Amino acid sequence: MVPTFAPRLARIALLPLILMTRPPEASAALGGTVTSVDADRVHVQGALMRIVQTGPVAMHELRSSSGTMIREYVNSSSGTVFAVAWDGPWIPDLRQVLGDHFDHYQAAMRARQQARRARGVVAIDDAGLVVQMGGHPRAFTGRAYLTGQLPAGVQLGTIR
Amino acid sequence: MIRPLLAAFLLIAVATPKCGDSSSSDGSSAPLMNFQSIVVNAGPTNNYFNGAFTSVTLCAPGTSTCQTIGGILVDTGSSGLRLLNDSLTLSLPQQTDSSGAPVAECFPFVDGYTWGAVKSADIKMGGEQASSVPIQVIASPGLPAIPASCTSFGTAENTLDSLGANGILGVGLFREDCGPGCVNIGSSNPGLYYSCPSAGCASISQSLARQVLNPVALFSTDNNGVVIQFPSLPAGGSATATGTMVFGIGTQSNNGLGSAKVFTVDAQGNLSTSYGSQTYGGSYLDSGSNGIFFLDANTTGLPVCTTSTDFYCPSTLQSQSATIRGINGANSAVNFNVGNADTLNGRFTAFSEVAGPNPGSFDWGLSFFFGRTVFTAIEGQSTPGGVGPYFAF
Repeated sequence: MVPTFAPRLARIALLPLILMTRPPEASAALGGTVTSVDADRVHVQGALMRIVQTGPVAMHELRSSSGTMIREYVNSSSGTVFAVAWDGPWIPDLRQVLGDHFDHYQAAMRARQQARRARGVVAIDDAGLVVQMGGHPRAFTGRAYLTGQLPAGVQLGTIR
Repeated sequence: MIRPLLAAFLLIAVATPKCGDSSSSDGSSAPLMNFQSIVVNAGPTNNYFNGAFTSVTLCAPGTSTCQTIGGILVDTGSSGLRLLNDSLTLSLPQQTDSSGAPVAECFPFVDGYTWGAVKSADIKMGGEQASSVPIQVIASPGLPAIPASCTSFGTAENTLDSLGANGILGVGLFREDCGPGCVNIGSSNPGLYYSCPSAGCASISQSLARQVLNPVALFSTDNNGVVIQFPSLPAGGSATATGTMVFGIGTQSNNGLGSAKVFTVDAQGNLSTSYGSQTYGGSYLDSGSNGIFFLDANTTGLPVCTTSTDFYCPSTLQSQSATIRGINGANSAVNFNVGNADTLNGRFTAFSEVAGPNPGSFDWGLSFFFGRTVFTAIEGQSTPGGVGPYFAF
């Protein structure tokens, strides 16, 4: 399915606003396939605002119904979501957005709580999973990515 | 303005620890009561790193049945009082919805969420009082299971160990903890408030007046904001530090803006910070963050600690400079130092050189507050520096 998907993605990338019609899948966003982006859109009752293709990366931008922008970064050749980022008044549904990596995130946060370290931001870098969050109520930001799945040449500064 | 404040503090400390409803206004000789002390120490868990704590007195509404709870984190980054149920011996009335079901809240912080009932209390701090303030009682018993839409905010902070404090006192820029979004009906509501009949909790619309409220905004006087004042700390930190939280801005002889500059914020409570040739929006002043969290190792040249990726760990003290800019264009250069967090942690509890990464933004946390007088003006409230919300320093 991955090889057949890449050309299709290239086509839709040309359009500013797409209403995708595939049924939602239970698969996760981060680490999932590109179809999970639509599952996220359905879950957050949001709208797909745009898809921007830059080199090997397709950025799908969603707007959740409560106003938080969620950007999911897809490796066009593998069809895998290797990074997600968000900003808006409230934290997005992390169980949905982090997908299979949510439990890993939770475990890393519990370990961090024991150490009584930072309060106010999150900077998890644990076994291939990076989660960075900041902000405050009414203005949260964050991003998560899989260090082993970053396409060659992708600048971290563009994931935001 | 530091000297008169200290003088007033000494006067109060010596003379009258308890004081009635004396309405001391400008020109009267009554002692000022619009302040209380805040302390940076290891907190109720005895291992907190750079956190400012204070006490709050709560009373059952309209009664003299009261309880004073210490170890409450002072947070200019949020609004409203949240307390661990375990720290509360007082019985407080539960807020209910139109069907009589208890109302609960799930409140997201960056590092996790607090879950618990919305209850009502009279709140006293310094000589100020606010009546029937909606507060969140974290982990209050008797509620159904925490809904999945709440646990999806991340990690639970519903115990002393996970919260690191007996409560959080949000004395931030806003009157309500959530604001207009939580009044919305339907999917645009962020789902912070819940109706919780025994069958289970469901998200509800919550009017502004019934949301968890910044208690300062409900004081009868000195209700337009807070002033947080800390002495400078020596390099290497201090065992503890004691500061003052003054209520009101420009309402008494001890809370004038003086030479402080006003930095207005956007609707989300943010201003911007310039560093090098770049400007970063989404910046803010937050006493509840325990360091200055800014940018990343590549941009700053500061190495991240090996044992904790939350902080920077340069081998020697590094001086940094950035410029804070309000939406109104006011700007001020800020020079600060960054120390080695791994070396600092465990030695003392109060530091002005604790910092860490926060890609693309500046969170001016508690380290920033040492050696400064920082004003936080509440939205919609008039002050001599204009209508809030704004920060000033």
